[in-house]
Amino acid sequence: MAEQLTHDELSAAFAGEPSGFSAVYTVISPAVLGYFRARGVEDAEALTQDVFVDVLPKLAKVTGGYSGLRTFIFSVAHARLVDHHRRAERTPYLAEYDPRDDIRHAPSAEDEVLGSLGGMTDSLFRLNEEQREVLVLRIVADLSIEQVARIMDKSPGAIKQLQRRGLSALRELVTEKDHAAS
Amino acid sequence: MTGTREPQQDGGIQAMLRDSGLEAAAELRRSLEELRALVPDEAPAPRADLAALLASGSCGSAVESAPDFVDEPLPAGVTSLAERRGRKRRLAIVGGAVLGAMTLGAGAVAASSGNFRESFSQSVGTIFQPGGKMPDTAQRPARPSPADVPAAPAPTSNATGAATPPQAEAPGAPGAAAAVPAKPGAPATPPAVGHTGFLPTPPHRPVTPGTPALPVPGGDKGLPAGPALPGVLPALPGQP
Repeated sequence: MAEQLTHDELSAAFAGEPSGFSAVYTVISPAVLGYFRARGVEDAEALTQDVFVDVLPKLAKVTGGYSGLRTFIFSVAHARLVDHHRRAERTPYLAEYDPRDDIRHAPSAEDEVLGSLGGMTDSLFRLNEEQREVLVLRIVADLSIEQVARIMDKSPGAIKQLQRRGLSALRELVTEKDHAAS
Repeated sequence: MTGTREPQQDGGIQAMLRDSGLEAAAELRRSLEELRALVPDEAPAPRADLAALLASGSCGSAVESAPDFVDEPLPAGVTSLAERRGRKRRLAIVGGAVLGAMTLGAGAVAASSGNFRESFSQSVGTIFQPGGKMPDTAQRPARPSPADVPAAPAPTSNATGAATPPQAEAPGAPGAAAAVPAKPGAPATPPAVGHTGFLPTPPHRPVTPGTPALPVPGGDKGLPAGPALPGVLPALPGQP
């Protein structure tokens, strides 16, 4: 898989050609999906596809080459996530059946393979909203400080600060958990 | 994961940790790598609408993106309706403002007109001035009270007044005698005359003391109740 889009693919995408769209989707959608997963969205795939349905027709307006494209796509994803969380707050939480209360329980194969991944997102959720967003955008979406600053509508200095605080808080949580486990 | 991606990712996390002065935190670095592992290797299979968009390119998107380009300069000979739309809205707003102002003005005129002020101050004065206007207010209540007084006799004269209505009601009834039972008959029927006669008559009695003289003429029909209360019942028929 290509890490970046080639120049031809990029110009094809900006011109609205199908090959360019496919390339953009293939290269960037995994990161968008990972971003939504890291933020705990239940139906991350559907939201990812929503983002691309929204974004692809507007590619002609994007400037700034590949990094501009990534910034644009993740700013749409960020807005979608904010909308999603707002909607989730308003809609009632329906919990008729909780599998954790079920005695007939077998360990999930995914959990076994991914090891402590669930724990990782748990500790991530203990950070505050902005710190979490900065860390996920920096690590999962692989964006620079400047790009994150543009998406979150903040100054690069503020993003650096949030990143530093988020990382130290996360470090405390991780070491705390390790001590508790051992 | 491809081999080409790994080193760059690690470098990214490493750089981040270095920026924040947490280079030595091995556990943290491991957790961040776990976090990055959330990114799948392959793109998710596109949904139907997305697949159509990916296949058709900008042809399919042209329809969707059309409304985005409203700002484009219009070709020659085409007049924009956006301006007129704005004008219409402006007209509505101005109309609303004029209406509001007129309503306010009309209210002000009504409040400032002589009649209104006079009647208003008068009514306020009658309510709040205890001294000079007191007699007026006293007179006014006095008027109703005389009206009440006649009204009170009216029941007594009711005997006369009410005696006629029963006659009108039942002209075929035998004379004034029919009126006698008819009066108490309103609450009760003739057989009960003895009892009902008792109850209504005492109130009437004191009011018309002269009536006892009259029972004699009415006595002819007061006979049924007569034995027990000869003086009592005939009184009413006697009046007419």
